[in-house]
Amino acid sequence: MSSDSDIIRRSRENPATFSELYDRHAATIHRYAARRAGATTADDIMSETFLVAFERRADFELERDDARPWLYGIATTLLRKHARLEARAWKGIVASGAAALDHDAIEAMASRVDAEVAIRALGTAIRRMPARDRDALLLYAWGDLDYEGVAQALDIPIGTVRSRLNRARRTLRAMAGRPTPTEEVEHGRLDPASQHP
Amino acid sequence: MDDLTLLRSIREPEAPSDDALARGRSALFERMLDRPAPKRSRRGIRVAGVSALGAGALVTALVLTNVVGLAGWRGGAEPAAANVLHSAAIAAIESTDLVVGPGQYLQVETSAVYSATSSSDSGTASYLFRVDDELYVPADRNDDWVWVRHPAKTYQTFGPDSEAAAESVTHVHPGDKDELLQAPAGAFYGGEAGASYGDLDSLPRDPVQLLNYIYKVNVGAGNSPDGQALVFIAERLRTGSVPADLRAAFYEAAALIPGVTVTEGRATLDGRTGVAIGRDEGSIDRQEIIIDPVTGQYVGERRVTLTAINEIPAGTVVSWSAVVTTVADSAPSGGTVNGVFDVMGCISDGKGGAQCPTD
Repeated sequence: MSSDSDIIRRSRENPATFSELYDRHAATIHRYAARRAGATTADDIMSETFLVAFERRADFELERDDARPWLYGIATTLLRKHARLEARAWKGIVASGAAALDHDAIEAMASRVDAEVAIRALGTAIRRMPARDRDALLLYAWGDLDYEGVAQALDIPIGTVRSRLNRARRTLRAMAGRPTPTEEVEHGRLDPASQHP
Repeated sequence: MDDLTLLRSIREPEAPSDDALARGRSALFERMLDRPAPKRSRRGIRVAGVSALGAGALVTALVLTNVVGLAGWRGGAEPAAANVLHSAAIAAIESTDLVVGPGQYLQVETSAVYSATSSSDSGTASYLFRVDDELYVPADRNDDWVWVRHPAKTYQTFGPDSEAAAESVTHVHPGDKDELLQAPAGAFYGGEAGASYGDLDSLPRDPVQLLNYIYKVNVGAGNSPDGQALVFIAERLRTGSVPADLRAAFYEAAALIPGVTVTEGRATLDGRTGVAIGRDEGSIDRQEIIIDPVTGQYVGERRVTLTAINEIPAGTVVSWSAVVTTVADSAPSGGTVNGVFDVMGCISDGKGGAQCPTD
């Protein structure tokens, strides 16, 4: 299968090729946008993301095989225009409480009440944190990007990603009323960036 | 539970709807064509394809100009078909037309299959026959055109009656020799000069105007205005000499025809493959064009019968044509305006008919 950068390289000669990138990643971008701002907004964000990407395809750095960080970055910028809708989406998550969570997650909680409390704390924390921290956090958690990917998406150094994520997670834990661990531990994911400080 | 795990446990939203995906893809193709994306369609005002019944008056009322007409406000092709057509249009626009230098010819090789029905004492029977030909169009279209027509061959039969009918009929001209024609401006057999080539330069390049023009010149023809529009497009494309910008406009016009769908994702025609785009005409038949969405090349066209014709079952491809266009430095020499009729010693009556000697 051709890599994303192959597709983008070919699309500079033959624009129609760019539709392959859409077919490959549109649903991924939609999922990210729908989680942040609801399904209706996500339809528009998905479409606009690829229009912007198409126009800027000359800017894509071809040595990066995976175009997802770049697309997530565009979608994240577009989502800024929908901050109010995003805030409303979070209110919705908080309002639906435990129902907003996967069944497995609720099972893992000591009780449904714990789940309600946790989700409320989470929603409040995310709504209150600075947009730049929220972007980094949600790209990392929902975009399934590593530090390097988040750095590419937001066009910031890895060190900045690290500090924004630390701050965002401190906010989450503070809101949840739990003590802040002194050291960061990554859960369930190999973080290549951490091996090259 | 850790905060990240909790965040990741928030339920995944539903996947985007097919409609949203198709709209996004269409918007992308529109952008590739450097045109503003169409506004999101309002629900409930979309008018389906114009039915054959009562369409005449509507068409007459609407086709007064190319600008205000039937095209563009009744929806269009299914999203998948529209995508293929948009993609092919973009590729066509970016392709370069063949350059026919002075003294050179555009060589159009066509392979075509048609159905024929013959009546005899034992009843009516249908079969398919194939004809191959090469047409040499000179750089200056007023110069002599050359047309080499190979003998027709039986292509497909459907049972003994069909076989007998195919054997009893000799198509196009007797014998098994090639027919060679030569005529200034392509006026073969005393016909119209350069028929279906003459207006290639003047047809509108704007898809909506082009489609309205097509509706206008086809009023009353075919099974339905929309079906006939696709037939018209197929007939023009099969000439093999449509310039790239017009080819792109034809593809875009087809994308505006309601009821046009992808009928076969990977269709093979005479050894070449493409995507078949067509429109069902009720239970009568379906005209298809076969195009390559990546190169924008026109592969050919075919017609599928949706009803049985004598022994030919419904669903059979009853005619097709595939065309390949190249540039030739020379054309075969010889040949006459009336080809085989001249060979046979026929004398034209000047009204399109001829008196031929009998043995």
